[in-house]
Amino acid sequence: MKSAPLLLGIISFAVILVIWEAVVHFGWVNPFFVSQPSAIAGSLSRSARSGELWHNFAVSLREFATGYGLAVAVGILAGALAGRCRTVEYALDPFLWFLYSAPLIAFYPIFVLWFGLGVPTVIAMTFLLSVTQIATNTLKGIQSVNPALIRAAKSFGATERDLLWKVILPASIPMIIAGLRLGIGRALMGVVVGELFGATAGLGYSISYYGGLLKTTDMIASLVVIVVLGVLCTEGLSALERRFDSWRIGPGS
Amino acid sequence: MNYRALVSTITAIAFFALWETAPRAGIVDPTYTSQPSRVVAAGWEIIRTGGFLRDVSVSLLEFTIGFVLAIAVGVSLGLLLGRFPALRYFLDPPIMAVYATPHLALLPIIVVWLGIGMQSKVAVAFVSGVIPILVNAMAGVRGVERSWITAARSFCAREWEVFVKVILPASIPSVVLGIRLGLSRAVLGVVVAEMYQSQVGLGNEIMRYGSEFRTDYLLFDVLLVSAFGLAATSAVRALEERLWTAGE
Repeated sequence: MKSAPLLLGIISFAVILVIWEAVVHFGWVNPFFVSQPSAIAGSLSRSARSGELWHNFAVSLREFATGYGLAVAVGILAGALAGRCRTVEYALDPFLWFLYSAPLIAFYPIFVLWFGLGVPTVIAMTFLLSVTQIATNTLKGIQSVNPALIRAAKSFGATERDLLWKVILPASIPMIIAGLRLGIGRALMGVVVGELFGATAGLGYSISYYGGLLKTTDMIASLVVIVVLGVLCTEGLSALERRFDSWRIGPGS
Repeated sequence: MNYRALVSTITAIAFFALWETAPRAGIVDPTYTSQPSRVVAAGWEIIRTGGFLRDVSVSLLEFTIGFVLAIAVGVSLGLLLGRFPALRYFLDPPIMAVYATPHLALLPIIVVWLGIGMQSKVAVAFVSGVIPILVNAMAGVRGVERSWITAARSFCAREWEVFVKVILPASIPSVVLGIRLGLSRAVLGVVVAEMYQSQVGLGNEIMRYGSEFRTDYLLFDVLLVSAFGLAATSAVRALEERLWTAGE
């Protein structure tokens, strides 16, 4: 019975596609607004053959990898420092709190002033949007390590380094990975929105570009690629999360 | 606790002091970084001139309509999906796909559908807010203690009574959590939609100030939006805490 949800999910997507195709096919809905699955598939294969799709994909991926990579490095470092040292935590607190709750995308025009229109601004947006989530989760993960474990390791003569590598990090890894997963969603948002506003290539750019030309089909095709990318990234990290969490026995232990 | 407040205050003050003095000392160019005093002055200027009220009321109206719609649709659909597993299995994959997508990627297509006026911003606020509300309402219904439902049934409660008297009250904290998560996304959605394509509203002003290099004015508007989001979120959070303690 475990495959029942999966099966229903596939059926669900199939039904949506069939209805979508049918309402346009029978002329109930204007294809200008919603396009058509077959036309979108055609557009995707066309842009895949011409190399446009791969080019946009590569540009977005590079921006994403740079921004998100930086966010992971800085976020985990800051979170770990704050988790191990209370003064650092308290010092970072107001900034994390602000970054967490402010509509950061509204800072986009300032980034354009600082970094110019284009790739560096998109990378900065990606970094800023995802770093808070990663830092906060790392901090929470480290703080939630059972103090008895730390005391036990210390009484057997563990140094601060042993403690970090052998007790704290393994125990807080699930929380950190959850942060990485949440961060991916926000990083993708940073890439896409950054490209919507000002870029010369990339998936977000192509949505905006074809939107300007009112080419709905090509626009939705790029959107589909972004949806697939989002689902794949999130699912990939969820799987990783389950793997790292599997050694735990029961909840809360 | 006191040490915490002390350290946080000191770093916050240090940040503002650095922000104020660095341009004065000529280390950075205030055109790019602005200064707290300039932001305050710009804010005063913005409030005094006439267009401000109009921008704020348009943005606020767009947000309110979109978000109220998101709550209405999200909560009712979420409760429904939580109650009927077959329906949930069927709709879960597309909902999760939308959840994993950066929802603001929909901006250009919403503009093509609804134009550059208020409708498209209302739609973006709705789309941004509805998913977390729906997902949390669904999770709330599913998280209701089984034994309560069994108990209600064994006292001959009818199906709708179980729903209204047991499931609904028990899932309210989760629903409110969803509303809080959706709220900040909807605020962001309205502002970004206005930044993308519009002729009025705070997001439009933010974009205009940016292109005119008026960092002071831009920062004031951004901070205003942040303050609004923060205040609204805190209000919902306070409500949430009261609900949690009431449930115990």
